[in-house]
Amino acid sequence: MILVAGATVKLRLKPSQSQVQNSFRTLVVAVFLIGTMLPFVYAFIRLKMVTGWTFWQALSGFDTVYGGSEALRFTLLEAFASSMLTVIIGLPIAWFLSRHQWKRIRLLRAFLAVPFVTPAIVAAMGFLSLIRQDGILTKIGIDLRLEEGVIGWFAEVSGWQHPGHFIALITAHAWFNLSLMIRFVEPTLSSLDPAWEEQLSMLPGGKTRISRLKNLWIPVIGPAVLCAASLSFLFSFTSFALVKWLAPTSHTLESLMAEAGSSAGIAGYRIESSELIYSVALLQFLILLLTLWITALLQKRYSERLSLLSEQGVRKHHGPPSRLAKLVILLGILFTLLPFVSVLISSFQARKITNGSVKYEWTLEGWSNAWSGDLSTMGVGEAMSNSIIYALCTLIVALPLGWILASTIFKLEQSGWSKSSKLLDLACMLPLAISALMVGLGVLLGGLRWYPEMFNWFLLPVYPHVLLTVPFVVRVMLPAYHSLDPGYTEQCKMLNLSPLRTWHHGTFMFLRGPAVVAGSLTLAFSLGEFGASWLLVRSGTWDTLSIVVDQLMSRPNFDPLIHPTAMAAATMLMLLTFALFLLAERFRAHDQRSGF
Amino acid sequence: MNSKIKAYLFFTLLLTSSVSGCLSEEALESLESENPCTSEIQVRESDGTLKILTYDIAGFSDELIAQFTDQTGVQVEFIRTDDAGGILDQMMLTKSAPLADLMIGLDNTYLPTAIQNCLLMEHSVSNESFTTTSMEFYDGPLALPFDEGDVCLNYDEDALAAANMSVPTSLWNLTEAEWNGKMTFPSPMTSSPGRAFLAATVDYFANSPGNESGNMSSWWNAVAQNGAIFTSGWTESYVNYYTGGYGEYMEGHIGGAYLTVSYCHSPGVEAYFSENYTHSTSLVLPRASFHQVEYTGIINGAAEVTAANQFIEFLTSIEVNGNMPDYNSMYSVRNDTDLPETNGYRYHADQANVSTAITQHLIEQNMDDWLESWQNAVRIN
Repeated sequence: MILVAGATVKLRLKPSQSQVQNSFRTLVVAVFLIGTMLPFVYAFIRLKMVTGWTFWQALSGFDTVYGGSEALRFTLLEAFASSMLTVIIGLPIAWFLSRHQWKRIRLLRAFLAVPFVTPAIVAAMGFLSLIRQDGILTKIGIDLRLEEGVIGWFAEVSGWQHPGHFIALITAHAWFNLSLMIRFVEPTLSSLDPAWEEQLSMLPGGKTRISRLKNLWIPVIGPAVLCAASLSFLFSFTSFALVKWLAPTSHTLESLMAEAGSSAGIAGYRIESSELIYSVALLQFLILLLTLWITALLQKRYSERLSLLSEQGVRKHHGPPSRLAKLVILLGILFTLLPFVSVLISSFQARKITNGSVKYEWTLEGWSNAWSGDLSTMGVGEAMSNSIIYALCTLIVALPLGWILASTIFKLEQSGWSKSSKLLDLACMLPLAISALMVGLGVLLGGLRWYPEMFNWFLLPVYPHVLLTVPFVVRVMLPAYHSLDPGYTEQCKMLNLSPLRTWHHGTFMFLRGPAVVAGSLTLAFSLGEFGASWLLVRSGTWDTLSIVVDQLMSRPNFDPLIHPTAMAAATMLMLLTFALFLLAERFRAHDQRSGF
Repeated sequence: MNSKIKAYLFFTLLLTSSVSGCLSEEALESLESENPCTSEIQVRESDGTLKILTYDIAGFSDELIAQFTDQTGVQVEFIRTDDAGGILDQMMLTKSAPLADLMIGLDNTYLPTAIQNCLLMEHSVSNESFTTTSMEFYDGPLALPFDEGDVCLNYDEDALAAANMSVPTSLWNLTEAEWNGKMTFPSPMTSSPGRAFLAATVDYFANSPGNESGNMSSWWNAVAQNGAIFTSGWTESYVNYYTGGYGEYMEGHIGGAYLTVSYCHSPGVEAYFSENYTHSTSLVLPRASFHQVEYTGIINGAAEVTAANQFIEFLTSIEVNGNMPDYNSMYSVRNDTDLPETNGYRYHADQANVSTAITQHLIEQNMDDWLESWQNAVRIN
């Protein structure tokens, strides 16, 4: 009787619990989709009204946009070259990092991962100081800035204008995206059963290096490499600050829009700006949507690849690193750290001109100004506390939101709703495809119409931060869901544990690590602050650390102390970001895949 | 009904309803009006804080703002844009529901558009003891100057001497072969000094001093054909390309341009921060400079009008405004003030030969056409 009663109760409760869960998931998905799409759609409708162009006219009118075609050509070229260079630099590093027993591998991973969450302006300053006239590269004859010596000769022979700027830009993009390659390739390689390699080498199809490449390595790591390359393409495609500083004579679509952005959407005023934004943003959106769709397909293939062994066992099998491996990793770390080191050094140096000759003096004044806020309206301490508050608020919203979205995608997959899961997966990446400027415009116009007071709300910058970080949370949590063993949940159910305890023991315990990784990423991205450009309205009292850096760098630098002050603020930001990544590495499970 | 279909219908309904009803074109169109001064303005709701729309002016330090708060008890919050053009754009965008009470930073090439679009309201601060030059362009009640300076060409004396080039005596000299690729200009579309210099060229060619011939468009086209480098802002021109300024010591300097657009007193600012050393000087050709005045004014629809007037008074007071050369590398608008003599600031700052032919009315009527002509002239591909 009790059993029967119990069964009856269960039968009644189960559908209602499931219904509640489904309704909740639906609500979360709806909130996310509306939050993502509404400002974008609003901005488009506004631009349509101001320009009088239809969707098709905007697309076909792209040819008439001043500088549009050149910007599109340059964007496609630099994004493609950047993703190729990311593969060329990143693959050997990922290969050697994954195939040996490294001491302090977490520290190595953290070093290699930090560029990805570094604010672009800090990266740009780091690279600019590396290629300056008295820098190492120029001393060995590679002048990427003034394009003299070898580069000048190449420019003359090839007729290519500013190849030095192009090389500097794609190298900076490769530096930025290096961790994508490592995060995608390393987990697969470091847990691949060594027996496969050994067995294949005895078969006719694996006798030579080329045949092993064809029959083993390309099928095993190919999708991961392509996945990293396509994401690298996406981030290089939307690059703005690096282009502005490293390739000042060229425009990407994003930088072209940024120049005209502030005057767009105003009826009867600078209509050419609205036409430019409407046309370029639409084309960019379509290209990025296509890239995201390809990335999602590749990632799916990548996550379905192989059954893998324990990473520790595989590493032990391969043994300690060879000299070549040590050299490659050392070069990789140097490549990663050099821009940071040069930013750090710049924070202690100020130019001093005496009798017409310049020398750089060591000084702590940059740091002292940064702390006191003497050269800005805000000191580093206050800006850092703002940054941390925004980062924490972003974490509180983005982590559960991304987690629920990932679990919903997984549930849809499990329930046979394959197309829906793919669509939702793609929708979760939408914030990466939508121009920041369009969202800013949409938020401003929509906010002004319905709720102008929202601009007084100091937590407003959290909104764009959340939109930007949710795709990364989903990308970290989804593979973790895929690697969940359903057996644990079934065992919990057999033990008749409550639904909460079943979830805790069967799911949460296994997702804890990835959640910490996702959380650290969220914090780091928020600290890196992409929000400033997202919001057309920026209140001074909300300034974050990266806004202070940007503010100082954009100011006329007649005063020699402005530059070291900006670099001191940038160094603080780097240290904070690095500490977070180190924390994330402590929690990353050894077989945690992708996870950026 | 199949649950999948239900789900798809739900999301379609959700998205279309959010997008169609509330975002209809009619709803959006109601924001606009044929006459810029008749559209309804929603007064900003008072929250006791004075909101100031400005660009990043170096002198507005924590200390200065604390001084104002101590004196008046008014809390201040800044909303920042990148430059003067950004201020006007922001005011235009938020015209029907302003976000700030006070603007600081529109110059005289932008002010006429702001006035024409009824973006400003009257202030109550006296303009006595202001320099004549600062009041010449506009002396009405909608805006008050807070700093001024002459926009003109700057050139690198050392580079010209080393290349055995002569100092230009006419703007047409810049279209000669020896200047090929050796000059840089900030775009008037996106830069306020760029816009000011465009206005200067209008005046220069309209008045054909000496034996000049041609017009503004043909000159801009000729300099574009002669390899002039056009950049989005003053910083890109001055720091990245100009060889005579502090940019040569900065990361990212490319150089190659011996001449750029800046202020006639920029060499003075260079000297001030470099122990009286500079190899940059200004080119003061008749009518090839534009007297730039930067204004502050109360935004139409402001909530904190009294506080805004108090801030204007504070900003234009002799104590604060006298420090403009330090705060914003510009001249004070108060009588009996001048640039400091320290490190040759005053000595290296040249006086421009400026005409007053470009009036508020002329800018109001023609700026859009000038910009369009400029854009067509420099398109050489």
